Amino acid sequence: MKKMKAVSAAVAIGLLGASLAACGGGNGNDKGASPSASAGGASESPKNNNPVTLTFVISNTEDTTAFNKVFEAYEQQTGNKVELQALPGGDYDNLIKTRFSTGDFPDLFLMQPGTKQYVKLRAAETLHEWSGESGIWDNVFDSIKQAQVENDKIFGVPYGSTGMMGVFYNKEVFKQAGVDVPANYADLVEIAKKIKAAGFTPFYEGVKDAWPPQVFYYTGWVTQVDPAIGDEGVAKLNRNELKFADIPELRDLFAKQKELKELDLYQKNVMAGTYDEMQNEMGDGKVAMAFMLDGIVSQMEQKFGKDWVTNNLGFFPFPSATDQGIAMITPPNQLMVPEKAKNRDAAIELVKFMLQPDNVNLFYANKPGIPIFEGATSELYPVQEDVKAYIDAGKSRVNIQNRLTASFVDFSKTLQNFFLKGDIDEAIEEFGANYQKDGKAKLLEGF
Amino acid sequence: MERRKYPLYFSYPAVVVFLLFFIAPTLIGVYYSFTNWNINADSVKFIGFDNYAALFQEPRLGKALSNTLIFAAAVTVLQNVIGFALALVMNESIRMRNFFRTVFFMPYVIAPIIIGYVFRAIYHPEHGIVNKLLEGVGLGFMAQDWLNDPKWALFSIIITDLWKVSGFAMVIYLAGLQFIPKDLLESAAIDGANYWHRLKNIILPLIASSTTVNILLSLIGSMKVFEMVMVLTDGGPGYTTEVFYTYIRSTFSMGEMGYSTAINLVLFALVTLVGLPVLAALKKREVEM
Repeated sequence: MKKMKAVSAAVAIGLLGASLAACGGGNGNDKGASPSASAGGASESPKNNNPVTLTFVISNTEDTTAFNKVFEAYEQQTGNKVELQALPGGDYDNLIKTRFSTGDFPDLFLMQPGTKQYVKLRAAETLHEWSGESGIWDNVFDSIKQAQVENDKIFGVPYGSTGMMGVFYNKEVFKQAGVDVPANYADLVEIAKKIKAAGFTPFYEGVKDAWPPQVFYYTGWVTQVDPAIGDEGVAKLNRNELKFADIPELRDLFAKQKELKELDLYQKNVMAGTYDEMQNEMGDGKVAMAFMLDGIVSQMEQKFGKDWVTNNLGFFPFPSATDQGIAMITPPNQLMVPEKAKNRDAAIELVKFMLQPDNVNLFYANKPGIPIFEGATSELYPVQEDVKAYIDAGKSRVNIQNRLTASFVDFSKTLQNFFLKGDIDEAIEEFGANYQKDGKAKLLEGF
Repeated sequence: MERRKYPLYFSYPAVVVFLLFFIAPTLIGVYYSFTNWNINADSVKFIGFDNYAALFQEPRLGKALSNTLIFAAAVTVLQNVIGFALALVMNESIRMRNFFRTVFFMPYVIAPIIIGYVFRAIYHPEHGIVNKLLEGVGLGFMAQDWLNDPKWALFSIIITDLWKVSGFAMVIYLAGLQFIPKDLLESAAIDGANYWHRLKNIILPLIASSTTVNILLSLIGSMKVFEMVMVLTDGGPGYTTEVFYTYIRSTFSMGEMGYSTAINLVLFALVTLVGLPVLAALKKREVEM
């Protein structure tokens, strides 16, 4: 009987061990992902006998067409596949950080620009360092490369084009309403009133999606907050020596957004507004303007075609009290590879493949934008030429988000509340408190 | 006749799994709730009750707590009322009974994310079927922005959740109803008991164990609500439909693991505090057949 007990116990423990071992197993994708298999170079080597599937994580606010084209070429050349995972744009940072903290590393991911992301992701411990990597920096404009450097190290490879945020408008609606690009902010409000009188919706705001109303503040910041506080003010914000509530020009931005709502210049049911509906309504000629980021260009191209974007989509910056304002630009997004990624070496080779001149041009052919690579060609839409003109004229400024290390956490929630209540003091206090909370959570000096 | 018992060591694998994957993480969680564990920090330090002190000063917690309790109370009561009513009807000899049973149970097996997207369209203030229907029958004045008006948002989430879970309660009640001997009900009817008397004095006492299971499951499940809120409103507009888990998620994603674990333990304590007295009260009502 004793013997029987011992055998039963051994079988039970064996089964348990087997089930635990099964839990710890991989998904099989990493079969050929050993450094020796993948480090041979995706760009140089012929098709892999043990192809791997790489995971590429991207925000769902990004148009993926251009990436897919490059990945198709990569698959053809190497046999490796790239599985694209689109995460919600509003929560992208949080989702990436959560995946990092649980050890669920993607092989490659696209992150917003700026060295502040290094702090966010504890780059020195978690990410691959690129500064000495061959085949990466050959064609990247030096100014773009330098913007990636912190403490002589680079953890993100810039990819894409110089971005922009501002007021995107439907030229045809402007024409029908008999208005032109505003000369200053008061003018913007006046033309919005005329557009409304002509039977169109002057502004569309995607409050339901939460993130779009923030664009109003980022674009307004470079036009009216930056000139007031200067670089020293930004440095103080970085050290937590200046409070948001103590910046009158920022408070004025809240007042301006409130004024647009009170003047009924947003769409009906503004709280239910979504990014997707905004594109549809603007494309259908029902909406005149939206404070928006440049992702709208490719989205409108997909929905309404290249001709529509060429002929109908216009851009102007957030106007100041006295002039047309300053264009808000964003550095290109960056590709990052976690050191502990299952297919790290294959991911590094994929980045090198993406940076090859032919593939860069393939990318721009499918996602035209202001290039960041020497020798790259991109056919720009008029709307992008408009921004380039501002950049060339020195009338552009990088997004404040890319210049501060702490983030505007839950700003979208604050703005949803603000749209409901219209309480400027409460909104700016909450905005500041959440900024400080994030600085504290990131253990930044001064917070 | 003495029942032959299985040897105790047969339970060891299950006990090991339970200890390893439930008890141990829970105990580790209790420890971490007293630390400053942060994904941006190099070390983890014991900080006593600091997380709990900070937690109870956070205004968002109050809103999350009240919303969670309102949601749990409404869903627990209504899920059981609707589930029981459906079970009574589906226990009768009606045409296409199995078809209707399947239809009522089906929402339960649909992923919350899909339900959320479908109901976002249904509740849309301009294009949604709810407002269109109200306008169609001349009740246009009752049309609302169901998910984006703070007055209606939580209510709309509750209705959506009820649509999903009532079928599950129905199945449990149906199982209970089918265990009631028919001759008992027939003899009561012969003795002159009307439907209400049979329901009150025979059916309800005899399905008390189903009621216990249903109420407990719905209470615990609804206090842990997350996906439905996440996909329908993401706790918004603003923080107006914030529940415990959306708040926990937001603090976790800021990297404040120790603090988030403390909130989780508060929810654990809350579920236990509410669940145990309810269980004790319901157990008293159960009768053996």
